[in-house]
Amino acid sequence: MSRNLKDSGPERVQEILEVIMSYARFDFSKKTSIIGNETLDAIGAGVNMLGEELESSTISLKEKEQLLKEIHHRVKNNLQIVSSLLNLQSENILDKRYLDLIIESRNRINSMALVHEMLYSSKDLSKIEIGHYVERLSKGIEHSLSKNDSDVKFNFNIEEGLFFDIDHMIPLGLILNEIISNSYKYAFPENKGSITIEMLDTQQFYRMTVKDNGIGFKPNFDLKRDSNLGMQLIYMLAEQLDGKVEINNELGVSYQILIPH
Amino acid sequence: METLTPPETAHDLTVFWTWMGEDGICRTKTKPQSEITLKEAIENSNVVTSLYKDKKFPLLVDARDIKSMAKEARRHFSTNGRATKINAMGIMVSSPLSRIVGNFFMGLNKPQIPARLFDDELEAIDWLKKYVE
Repeated sequence: MSRNLKDSGPERVQEILEVIMSYARFDFSKKTSIIGNETLDAIGAGVNMLGEELESSTISLKEKEQLLKEIHHRVKNNLQIVSSLLNLQSENILDKRYLDLIIESRNRINSMALVHEMLYSSKDLSKIEIGHYVERLSKGIEHSLSKNDSDVKFNFNIEEGLFFDIDHMIPLGLILNEIISNSYKYAFPENKGSITIEMLDTQQFYRMTVKDNGIGFKPNFDLKRDSNLGMQLIYMLAEQLDGKVEINNELGVSYQILIPH
Repeated sequence: METLTPPETAHDLTVFWTWMGEDGICRTKTKPQSEITLKEAIENSNVVTSLYKDKKFPLLVDARDIKSMAKEARRHFSTNGRATKINAMGIMVSSPLSRIVGNFFMGLNKPQIPARLFDDELEAIDWLKKYVE
Protein backbone atom coordinates (compact mmCIF):
# COMPACT_ATOMS: atom_id res chain seq x y z
CA MET A 1 0.00 0.00 0.00
CA SER A 2 1.51 3.32 -0.99
CA ARG A 3 1.09 6.42 1.12
CA ASN A 4 1.01 10.03 0.16
CA LEU A 5 4.57 11.21 0.71
CA LYS A 6 3.50 14.74 1.61
CA ASP A 7 1.17 13.49 4.33
CA SER A 8 3.45 10.81 5.68
CA GLY A 9 6.78 12.68 5.40
CA PRO A 10 7.19 13.78 9.03
CA GLU A 11 6.08 10.35 10.28
CA ARG A 12 8.54 8.61 8.02
CA VAL A 13 11.37 10.94 9.01
CA GLN A 14 10.51 10.12 12.63
CA GLU A 15 10.53 6.39 11.85
CA ILE A 16 13.94 6.66 10.17
CA LEU A 17 15.30 8.64 13.13
CA GLU A 18 14.07 5.96 15.54
CA VAL A 19 15.80 3.26 13.52
CA ILE A 20 19.06 5.28 13.49
CA MET A 21 18.80 5.71 17.27
CA SER A 22 18.26 1.99 17.79
CA TYR A 23 21.38 1.32 15.68
CA ALA A 24 23.24 3.79 17.90
CA ARG A 25 22.27 1.52 20.84
CA PHE A 26 23.54 -1.49 18.85
CA ASP A 27 19.99 -2.77 18.50
CA PHE A 28 19.78 -3.95 14.92
CA SER A 29 16.34 -5.55 15.11
CA LYS A 30 14.58 -2.57 13.52
CA LYS A 31 14.46 -1.56 9.88
CA THR A 32 12.84 1.36 8.13
CA SER A 33 9.92 0.51 5.86
CA ILE A 34 10.37 1.03 2.13
CA ILE A 35 7.02 1.79 0.58
CA GLY A 36 7.81 3.53 -2.68
CA ASN A 37 10.58 4.83 -4.82
CA GLU A 38 11.06 8.31 -3.43
CA THR A 39 13.85 10.11 -1.66
CA LEU A 40 12.72 9.05 1.83
CA ASP A 41 12.62 5.43 0.67
CA ALA A 42 16.18 5.82 -0.60
CA ILE A 43 17.28 7.34 2.71
CA GLY A 44 15.49 4.53 4.57
CA ALA A 45 17.14 1.88 2.37
CA GLY A 46 20.53 3.49 2.99
CA VAL A 47 19.95 3.47 6.75
CA ASN A 48 18.89 -0.20 6.60
CA MET A 49 22.00 -1.16 4.68
CA LEU A 50 24.27 0.85 6.98
CA GLY A 51 22.65 -0.97 9.91
CA GLU A 52 23.36 -4.34 8.29
CA GLU A 53 26.99 -3.45 7.71
CA LEU A 54 27.37 -2.03 11.24
CA GLU A 55 25.84 -5.17 12.73
CA SER A 56 28.17 -7.31 10.68
CA SER A 57 31.22 -5.26 11.75
CA THR A 58 30.09 -5.39 15.37
CA ILE A 59 29.78 -9.17 15.27
CA SER A 60 33.16 -9.46 13.61
CA LEU A 61 34.70 -7.17 16.25
CA LYS A 62 33.17 -9.27 19.04
CA GLU A 63 34.57 -12.42 17.48
CA LYS A 64 38.02 -10.83 17.30
CA GLU A 65 37.76 -9.73 20.94
CA GLN A 66 36.82 -13.27 21.90
CA LEU A 67 39.80 -14.58 19.98
CA LEU A 68 42.15 -12.09 21.63
CA LYS A 69 40.76 -13.07 25.03
CA GLU A 70 41.41 -16.70 24.20
CA ILE A 71 44.99 -15.91 23.14
CA HIS A 72 45.73 -14.03 26.38
CA HIS A 73 44.20 -16.92 28.31
CA ARG A 74 46.37 -19.46 26.54
CA VAL A 75 49.54 -17.39 26.88
CA LYS A 76 48.85 -17.03 30.60
CA ASN A 77 48.18 -20.78 30.93
CA ASN A 78 51.39 -21.63 29.08
CA LEU A 79 53.39 -19.24 31.25
CA GLN A 80 51.83 -20.82 34.33
CA ILE A 81 52.81 -24.26 33.09
CA VAL A 82 56.43 -23.07 32.75
CA SER A 83 56.19 -21.57 36.23
CA SER A 84 54.82 -24.86 37.63
CA LEU A 85 57.57 -26.83 35.91
CA LEU A 86 60.14 -24.59 37.57
CA ASN A 87 58.39 -25.22 40.89
CA LEU A 88 58.61 -28.96 40.38
CA GLN A 89 62.24 -28.67 39.38
CA SER A 90 63.02 -26.67 42.50
CA GLU A 91 61.80 -29.49 44.74
CA ASN A 92 64.85 -31.56 43.86
CA ILE A 93 67.39 -28.79 44.28
CA LEU A 94 69.26 -28.42 47.52
CA ASP A 95 71.81 -25.82 46.47
CA LYS A 96 70.42 -22.45 47.59
CA ARG A 97 72.06 -20.55 44.70
CA TYR A 98 70.27 -22.65 42.10
CA LEU A 99 67.07 -22.58 44.07
CA ASP A 100 67.17 -18.77 44.17
CA LEU A 101 67.77 -18.64 40.41
CA ILE A 102 64.72 -20.80 39.83
CA ILE A 103 62.57 -18.68 42.14
CA GLU A 104 63.74 -15.49 40.37
CA SER A 105 62.93 -16.97 36.96
CA ARG A 106 59.56 -18.18 38.18
CA ASN A 107 58.65 -14.74 39.55
CA ARG A 108 59.64 -13.07 36.26
CA ILE A 109 57.36 -15.47 34.41
CA ASN A 110 54.56 -14.86 36.90
CA SER A 111 54.85 -11.09 36.44
CA MET A 112 54.21 -11.58 32.71
CA ALA A 113 51.46 -14.15 33.23
CA LEU A 114 49.66 -11.68 35.48
CA VAL A 115 49.59 -9.11 32.66
CA HIS A 116 47.92 -11.62 30.34
CA GLU A 117 45.51 -12.76 33.05
CA MET A 118 44.45 -9.20 33.78
CA LEU A 119 44.12 -8.40 30.09
CA TYR A 120 41.68 -11.22 29.37
CA SER A 121 39.71 -10.43 32.52
CA SER A 122 39.40 -6.75 31.71
CA LYS A 123 36.62 -5.10 29.72
CA ASP A 124 39.14 -3.36 27.52
CA LEU A 125 41.36 -6.11 26.22
CA SER A 126 44.14 -3.73 25.26
CA LYS A 127 44.91 -2.01 28.58
CA ILE A 128 45.05 -2.68 32.30
CA GLU A 129 45.04 -0.41 35.29
CA ILE A 130 48.51 -0.38 36.79
CA GLY A 131 47.34 0.21 40.38
CA HIS A 132 45.43 -3.04 40.40
CA TYR A 133 48.34 -4.84 38.77
CA VAL A 134 50.95 -3.53 41.23
CA GLU A 135 48.92 -4.68 44.22
CA ARG A 136 48.48 -8.17 42.82
CA LEU A 137 52.10 -8.45 41.73
CA SER A 138 53.33 -7.34 45.16
CA LYS A 139 51.17 -9.95 46.88
CA GLY A 140 52.56 -12.62 44.57
CA ILE A 141 56.17 -11.65 45.30
CA GLU A 142 55.44 -11.44 49.02
CA HIS A 143 53.96 -14.93 48.90
CA SER A 144 57.02 -16.21 47.07
CA LEU A 145 59.84 -14.51 48.97
CA SER A 146 58.64 -13.73 52.48
CA LYS A 147 59.83 -15.89 55.33
CA ASN A 148 57.83 -17.14 58.29
CA ASP A 149 58.87 -14.26 60.53
CA SER A 150 58.71 -11.58 57.79
CA ASP A 151 57.06 -8.30 58.53
CA VAL A 152 57.45 -6.32 55.31
CA LYS A 153 54.63 -3.89 54.59
CA PHE A 154 53.63 -2.40 51.27
CA ASN A 155 52.45 1.18 50.83
CA PHE A 156 50.81 2.12 47.55
CA ASN A 157 50.37 5.60 46.22
CA ILE A 158 49.23 5.02 42.70
CA GLU A 159 47.17 7.49 40.75
CA GLU A 160 43.76 6.08 39.94
CA GLY A 161 42.85 5.39 36.35
CA LEU A 162 46.37 4.95 34.99
CA PHE A 163 46.10 2.43 32.20
CA PHE A 164 48.92 0.90 30.17
CA ASP A 165 48.95 -1.40 27.16
CA ILE A 166 50.77 -4.72 27.03
CA ASP A 167 53.89 -3.18 25.47
CA HIS A 168 54.31 -1.04 28.58
CA MET A 169 52.94 -3.48 31.14
CA ILE A 170 55.32 -6.36 30.47
CA PRO A 171 58.50 -4.27 30.97
CA LEU A 172 56.96 -2.33 33.87
CA GLY A 173 55.90 -5.58 35.55
CA LEU A 174 59.37 -7.05 35.15
CA ILE A 175 61.02 -3.87 36.47
CA LEU A 176 58.76 -3.88 39.52
CA ASN A 177 59.42 -7.55 40.06
CA GLU A 178 63.18 -6.98 40.07
CA ILE A 179 63.09 -4.00 42.42
CA ILE A 180 60.68 -5.57 44.92
CA SER A 181 62.60 -8.84 44.82
CA ASN A 182 65.89 -7.00 45.46
CA SER A 183 64.34 -5.28 48.47
CA TYR A 184 63.14 -8.61 49.83
CA LYS A 185 66.53 -10.22 49.26
CA TYR A 186 68.90 -7.50 50.43
CA ALA A 187 67.19 -4.62 52.25
CA PHE A 188 65.82 -6.27 55.35
CA PRO A 189 68.28 -8.54 57.16
CA GLU A 190 65.81 -8.78 60.02
CA ASN A 191 62.91 -9.33 57.64
CA LYS A 192 61.21 -6.13 58.77
CA GLY A 193 60.55 -2.95 56.84
CA SER A 194 58.38 -1.34 54.23
CA ILE A 195 58.28 -0.94 50.48
CA THR A 196 56.53 2.08 48.97
CA ILE A 197 55.36 2.11 45.39
CA GLU A 198 54.22 5.35 43.74
CA MET A 199 53.03 5.98 40.24
CA LEU A 200 52.02 9.40 39.00
CA ASP A 201 51.26 11.00 35.67
CA THR A 202 53.09 14.34 35.60
CA GLN A 203 51.59 15.11 32.17
CA GLN A 204 55.09 15.04 30.66
CA PHE A 205 55.92 11.52 31.76
CA TYR A 206 54.87 8.76 34.11
CA ARG A 207 56.92 8.66 37.27
CA MET A 208 57.23 5.34 39.04
CA THR A 209 59.03 5.32 42.38
CA VAL A 210 59.81 2.20 44.38
CA LYS A 211 61.61 2.69 47.65
CA ASP A 212 62.37 0.63 50.70
CA ASN A 213 63.48 1.69 54.17
CA GLY A 214 66.10 -1.00 54.41
CA ILE A 215 69.84 -0.95 54.93
CA GLY A 216 70.68 0.43 51.50
CA PHE A 217 73.46 -0.71 49.21
CA LYS A 218 76.67 -1.97 50.80
CA PRO A 219 79.38 0.63 51.28
CA ASN A 220 81.49 0.97 48.10
CA PHE A 221 78.69 -0.58 46.05
CA ASP A 222 79.36 0.23 42.42
CA LEU A 223 76.38 0.00 40.11
CA LYS A 224 78.46 -0.84 37.05
CA ARG A 225 80.74 -3.31 38.77
CA ASP A 226 78.37 -4.96 41.21
CA SER A 227 75.09 -5.07 39.29
CA ASN A 228 73.36 -8.42 39.19
CA LEU A 229 71.15 -9.64 36.36
CA GLY A 230 68.11 -8.07 38.02
CA MET A 231 69.72 -4.63 38.04
CA GLN A 232 70.79 -5.00 34.40
CA LEU A 233 67.25 -6.00 33.53
CA ILE A 234 65.88 -2.84 35.16
CA TYR A 235 68.08 -0.66 32.95
CA MET A 236 67.42 -2.67 29.80
CA LEU A 237 63.66 -2.69 30.29
CA ALA A 238 63.55 1.02 31.12
CA GLU A 239 65.46 1.69 27.92
CA GLN A 240 62.88 -0.38 26.05
CA LEU A 241 60.28 2.12 27.32
CA ASP A 242 62.53 5.07 26.37
CA GLY A 243 62.64 5.71 30.09
CA LYS A 244 65.28 6.81 32.57
CA VAL A 245 66.30 5.18 35.85
CA GLU A 246 67.52 7.16 38.84
CA ILE A 247 68.70 5.36 41.93
CA ASN A 248 69.06 6.94 45.35
CA ASN A 249 70.76 5.25 48.27
CA GLU A 250 69.61 7.34 51.24
CA LEU A 251 67.44 5.92 54.01
CA GLY A 252 67.10 2.75 52.01
CA VAL A 253 67.16 2.31 48.27
CA SER A 254 64.87 4.27 46.00
CA TYR A 255 64.37 3.77 42.27
CA GLN A 256 62.70 6.40 40.14
CA ILE A 257 61.72 5.41 36.61
CA LEU A 258 60.57 8.17 34.25
CA ILE A 259 58.63 6.98 31.23
CA PRO A 260 57.69 9.43 28.50
CA HIS A 261 54.08 9.55 27.30
CA MET B 1 19.03 -2.52 -30.59
CA GLU B 2 17.90 -4.79 -27.76
CA THR B 3 16.23 -3.19 -24.81
CA LEU B 4 15.70 -4.22 -21.23
CA THR B 5 12.17 -5.44 -21.90
CA PRO B 6 12.23 -9.16 -21.09
CA PRO B 7 11.52 -11.33 -24.15
CA GLU B 8 9.11 -14.28 -23.90
CA THR B 9 12.06 -16.63 -23.68
CA ALA B 10 13.43 -14.89 -20.54
CA HIS B 11 13.78 -16.97 -17.40
CA ASP B 12 10.97 -15.86 -15.13
CA LEU B 13 12.50 -16.09 -11.64
CA THR B 14 11.16 -15.08 -8.23
CA VAL B 15 12.30 -11.46 -8.44
CA PHE B 16 14.20 -11.36 -11.77
CA TRP B 17 13.75 -11.85 -15.44
CA THR B 18 17.02 -13.12 -16.89
CA TRP B 19 18.01 -13.80 -20.47
CA MET B 20 20.95 -13.82 -22.89
CA GLY B 21 20.83 -11.11 -25.52
CA GLU B 22 21.75 -11.80 -29.13
CA ASP B 23 24.61 -9.32 -28.71
CA GLY B 24 26.29 -11.65 -26.17
CA ILE B 25 25.35 -9.47 -23.20
CA CYS B 26 23.35 -11.21 -20.48
CA ARG B 27 20.51 -9.16 -19.03
CA THR B 28 18.75 -9.44 -15.74
CA LYS B 29 15.91 -7.17 -14.70
CA THR B 30 14.49 -6.84 -11.23
CA LYS B 31 10.74 -7.10 -10.95
CA PRO B 32 8.91 -4.07 -9.52
CA GLN B 33 9.44 -3.60 -5.75
CA SER B 34 11.66 -6.65 -5.54
CA GLU B 35 13.31 -7.49 -2.23
CA ILE B 36 16.40 -9.50 -2.98
CA THR B 37 17.71 -11.91 -0.37
CA LEU B 38 20.50 -14.43 -0.73
CA LYS B 39 18.01 -17.05 -1.95
CA GLU B 40 16.89 -14.94 -4.91
CA ALA B 41 20.49 -13.90 -5.62
CA ILE B 42 21.61 -17.55 -5.84
CA GLU B 43 18.59 -18.46 -7.94
CA ASN B 44 19.55 -15.73 -10.40
CA SER B 45 23.26 -16.44 -10.54
CA ASN B 46 22.58 -20.15 -11.15
CA VAL B 47 20.53 -19.23 -14.20
CA VAL B 48 23.11 -16.68 -15.37
CA THR B 49 25.89 -19.25 -15.09
CA SER B 50 23.91 -21.77 -17.12
CA LEU B 51 23.47 -19.45 -20.10
CA TYR B 52 26.85 -20.21 -21.71
CA LYS B 53 28.95 -23.27 -21.10
CA ASP B 54 32.41 -22.39 -22.23
CA LYS B 55 32.89 -18.67 -22.28
CA LYS B 56 32.63 -15.64 -20.09
CA PHE B 57 30.22 -12.81 -20.77
CA PRO B 58 29.17 -9.38 -19.47
CA LEU B 59 25.99 -8.78 -17.48
CA LEU B 60 23.61 -5.83 -17.57
CA VAL B 61 21.51 -5.56 -14.42
CA ASP B 62 18.41 -3.40 -14.52
CA ALA B 63 17.99 -2.47 -10.85
CA ARG B 64 15.69 0.48 -11.45
CA ASP B 65 12.70 -1.21 -9.81
CA ILE B 66 14.56 -2.67 -6.85
CA LYS B 67 13.20 -2.19 -3.34
CA SER B 68 15.98 -3.68 -1.26
CA MET B 69 18.96 -5.99 -1.41
CA ALA B 70 20.09 -7.82 1.72
CA LYS B 71 23.72 -7.72 2.80
CA GLU B 72 24.24 -11.43 1.96
CA ALA B 73 22.79 -10.89 -1.51
CA ARG B 74 25.08 -7.89 -2.11
CA ARG B 75 28.07 -10.00 -1.09
CA HIS B 76 26.96 -12.84 -3.37
CA PHE B 77 26.50 -10.54 -6.37
CA SER B 78 29.92 -9.00 -5.81
CA THR B 79 31.25 -12.35 -7.17
CA ASN B 80 34.08 -12.19 -4.64
CA GLY B 81 35.25 -15.65 -3.72
CA ARG B 82 32.94 -17.60 -6.01
CA ALA B 83 33.26 -19.04 -9.51
CA THR B 84 31.39 -16.97 -12.06
CA LYS B 85 31.13 -16.61 -15.80
CA ILE B 86 30.51 -12.88 -15.59
CA ASN B 87 33.47 -10.80 -16.74
CA ALA B 88 31.91 -7.33 -16.31
CA MET B 89 28.78 -5.86 -14.78
CA GLY B 90 26.79 -2.78 -15.70
CA ILE B 91 24.01 -1.76 -13.33
CA MET B 92 21.16 0.46 -14.45
CA VAL B 93 19.92 2.83 -11.76
CA SER B 94 17.61 5.81 -11.95
CA SER B 95 15.45 6.35 -8.87
CA PRO B 96 17.02 7.58 -5.62
CA LEU B 97 16.34 4.14 -4.13
CA SER B 98 18.10 2.20 -6.90
CA ARG B 99 21.01 4.67 -6.78
CA ILE B 100 21.45 4.13 -3.06
CA VAL B 101 21.34 0.33 -3.41
CA GLY B 102 23.68 0.50 -6.41
CA ASN B 103 26.18 2.74 -4.64
CA PHE B 104 26.16 0.55 -1.55
CA PHE B 105 26.79 -2.47 -3.72
CA MET B 106 29.67 -0.77 -5.54
CA GLY B 107 31.17 0.75 -2.40
CA LEU B 108 30.83 -1.76 0.39
CA ASN B 109 30.77 -4.90 -1.70
CA LYS B 110 33.16 -3.85 -4.44
CA PRO B 111 32.85 -6.50 -7.17
CA GLN B 112 35.91 -8.45 -8.25
CA ILE B 113 35.13 -7.83 -11.92
CA PRO B 114 34.87 -4.44 -13.70
CA ALA B 115 31.56 -2.88 -12.67
CA ARG B 116 29.87 0.47 -13.21
CA LEU B 117 26.56 2.19 -12.50
CA PHE B 118 24.69 3.71 -15.45
CA ASP B 119 21.56 5.72 -15.93
CA ASP B 120 21.75 5.50 -19.70
CA GLU B 121 21.04 2.10 -21.21
CA LEU B 122 22.90 2.72 -24.50
CA GLU B 123 25.97 3.90 -22.68
CA ALA B 124 25.87 0.75 -20.51
CA ILE B 125 25.60 -1.52 -23.53
CA ASP B 126 28.44 0.30 -25.31
CA TRP B 127 30.68 -0.23 -22.29
CA LEU B 128 29.71 -3.90 -21.84
CA LYS B 129 30.30 -4.74 -25.52
CA LYS B 130 34.04 -4.49 -24.88
CA TYR B 131 33.76 -7.57 -22.69
CA VAL B 132 31.91 -9.81 -25.17
CA GLU B 133 34.26 -12.68 -26.09
